[in-house]
Amino acid sequence: MTSIASNIQHPTSNSDAGLPLHGIRILDLTMVWAGPSATRLLADMGAEVIKVESARSWDMLRSLHFLSGPPPGWWNRSAYFNHNNRNKYGITLDLQSERGRELALRLVAMSDLVFENYRADVIGKLRMDYDDLRAVKPAIILVSMPSHGKSGPEAHHVAYGTNVEQLAGLVSISGYPGDGPHTSPIAYGDPNAGALAAAAALAALHHRRETGEGQHVEVAQWEAMIGNIGEYVLGYQMDGDVGESLGNRHVSRVQGVYPCVTDDEWVAISAGSDAEFAALCAAIGQPEVACDPRFADDVSRLLHHDELDTMIAEWTRMRSQRDAAHAMQAAGVSAAPILKIKALMEDENLRARGFWESVSHTEAGTWDMDGPTWRMSRTPAHVRVPPPMFGEHNDWVLQDLLGLTEAEIAALEAEGVTAREPSAGVHS
Amino acid sequence: MMALDGLRVIDLTSGVSGPWCTKLLADYGADVIKIEAPGIGDDARGHGRFPDGVPHREKSALFLWLNTSKRSVTLDIATATGRALLLRLVAQSDAVVTDQSASELVRLRLTHYDFAAVNPRIITTSVLAFGQRGPYADWRATNLTSYAVGGHHYLCGDGDREPLQNGGYQALYAAGTWAFGATLAALWDAHRSGAGQQVEVAGQEVMASILEIMLPDYAYRKSEALTVRRGNMSTAVVGIYPVLDGHVGVHAMPKNWPQLLGALDAHWMATDERFADDRARRGNDDELMAQMYIWSAGVTKREAYERGGRFRAPISPVNTVADLLESEHLNARNFFHEIEHPAAGTMRYPGPPARMPATPPTPRRAPLLGEHNAEVLADLLGLTPGDLAKLTAAGVT
Repeated sequence: MTSIASNIQHPTSNSDAGLPLHGIRILDLTMVWAGPSATRLLADMGAEVIKVESARSWDMLRSLHFLSGPPPGWWNRSAYFNHNNRNKYGITLDLQSERGRELALRLVAMSDLVFENYRADVIGKLRMDYDDLRAVKPAIILVSMPSHGKSGPEAHHVAYGTNVEQLAGLVSISGYPGDGPHTSPIAYGDPNAGALAAAAALAALHHRRETGEGQHVEVAQWEAMIGNIGEYVLGYQMDGDVGESLGNRHVSRVQGVYPCVTDDEWVAISAGSDAEFAALCAAIGQPEVACDPRFADDVSRLLHHDELDTMIAEWTRMRSQRDAAHAMQAAGVSAAPILKIKALMEDENLRARGFWESVSHTEAGTWDMDGPTWRMSRTPAHVRVPPPMFGEHNDWVLQDLLGLTEAEIAALEAEGVTAREPSAGVHS
Repeated sequence: MMALDGLRVIDLTSGVSGPWCTKLLADYGADVIKIEAPGIGDDARGHGRFPDGVPHREKSALFLWLNTSKRSVTLDIATATGRALLLRLVAQSDAVVTDQSASELVRLRLTHYDFAAVNPRIITTSVLAFGQRGPYADWRATNLTSYAVGGHHYLCGDGDREPLQNGGYQALYAAGTWAFGATLAALWDAHRSGAGQQVEVAGQEVMASILEIMLPDYAYRKSEALTVRRGNMSTAVVGIYPVLDGHVGVHAMPKNWPQLLGALDAHWMATDERFADDRARRGNDDELMAQMYIWSAGVTKREAYERGGRFRAPISPVNTVADLLESEHLNARNFFHEIEHPAAGTMRYPGPPARMPATPPTPRRAPLLGEHNAEVLADLLGLTPGDLAKLTAAGVT
């Protein structure tokens, strides 16, 4: 290795100086989706997020659906990994080695927050639990995101985001009516816990600013999902009904998904009030239906919902989803196209709002990525830093932040404490 | 002491998204003053469910859940007097949360600029389905339409059936969750910079940002291979199986295979060449699924879950809400909070999503309509009982 200093691409730029979380440093020990989605939200807002992996413990997402191309470097070409880790810096440190742990604790001492979403017992085995972190940084805020929480008789269980929504009751109230439970199409427990953990971290920062006190925030992903169906939990205590799935229907509105002119193309339509229902009838060219006693109020409309569905579908089948949605909205009826991913990325609303940002990456090329969802008028955020390649920012962190010499950095790599390539076989 | 003690938030929202955002702020300690239309209040008050099925505007499950820890003030903000009182409250607050369209807020003269004129540090958060600007800014929206335009609806359900919305109001909740964090980030900045700003969270963008691998993969490769409805079964070991007394979910990534075999008591599979590695298992998915069905037909939810835990395999019960309330684990962790309400009675409410041991949140019951009129308008604005009586007589409160 020649002069490291000349090779360092100093990643800290002025582009984040005006962002809300500029000056907040986060040591990010999280992997897969839940934790990385939390730190992504904070990274978008200008926090300096340093993601830690190692040769033997690297983010599984790197191995999923990567772009094809000549090896080496496949681990830098996963769309899923890159999507979740933009605006972050990436280093490798083997936390299971004494030297790696010692360096990680030195980073903790200069950080505001540490995030981890290991299985409940792992952070303790690494001897990096809250008390260990507090010993080097008394005001540290540790955010842990175990699926089941750190206490309780089931704390040793493991779960992915799909399991989380099963545990939380959401799957039991989802599904085609009469057809049993149904999963969400994503590992919904992950981004839900992530967004709540990011917010809880900010709440903890508020408290630290007022009092100087840090704390150990715990987001049990199972618990964090239950709030999303809180009305079912209370409803059950009112009437003893655990809640059957209504599918695409609603307790009081006329609504559903309706087929359009092209195969497997659909539009969602929903009419609540009498006025909205009358507008729906007018829009499909049957204004007299609104005066039909079968459909006089929301209770009778629900009783005759199938008949309404037939009438609405006759109208939608002649139209594209876009034309149907626009016609309904013009008439004053809630409606929207059920967008495929391709149509979503071409959607006129998201395009007009500048939602998509082009990201260029040394090994993965250039593609469109969704921009920050926390939109701020005075401090607008963007994708500033492409997702980190494996160990990309080792030199910057080890030399500039930790003050290690070239020789020390080379020795760490020789000892396997840091790495430039992940060990294959961990996730295959 | 709670984490957000000292923050005051004016809540102009109703329904699900905005109230969920402000409930989270309130449960963690912010003083949230919910402004409701006199006589009617939040739409969620009419939603239900209701005890014994009898509609009552103080007993709606959706409202009771989404408005804990807040104070309720009735104020007709479309009147000049109501607007003036609102602005005086804004002058003493840190944030305002709205869910009206931009054109509606302009009509009411209650935009961020109106608030900033009386409080330059104010954060004004807008939480809407399609956002405040863009071609859909004035579109009408429900959970169904947000689920549809966010990309999830098309992917949810069986491939040979119509797209399916998942349970409850997930697109609305997600927008509220994101607005909660965005508001806190902007408040952090306002405290440091001394300057407020507008925050905007659009449900469509939130949903589009959490499309797991399906959106990133399409964005990279322009392949629609993953952008299909897959039903409950992604593979034989990532899916939902019927068991003796309900359903369980299994999600085994390649590294979880040995643990799964332990939980299934199927160690013989480890030496079966059809299942030797991930590639082989993918090639023999049907045969693996057949083995999974044989296993699931002989276990209960509890047995499957217990063995999953013992062997560290990702297996979980498809819990009903009754299962949640009875859960030994959640109850050992004191997850539910028993909260008494004068009209709706005592119920067990799910606890806040994040535990903060230095600043434990203690949610309080949802307010009665206008319950805090006198308290807020007298204490914060110095109105006299005579003033309050006049406002009520005029229909402003």
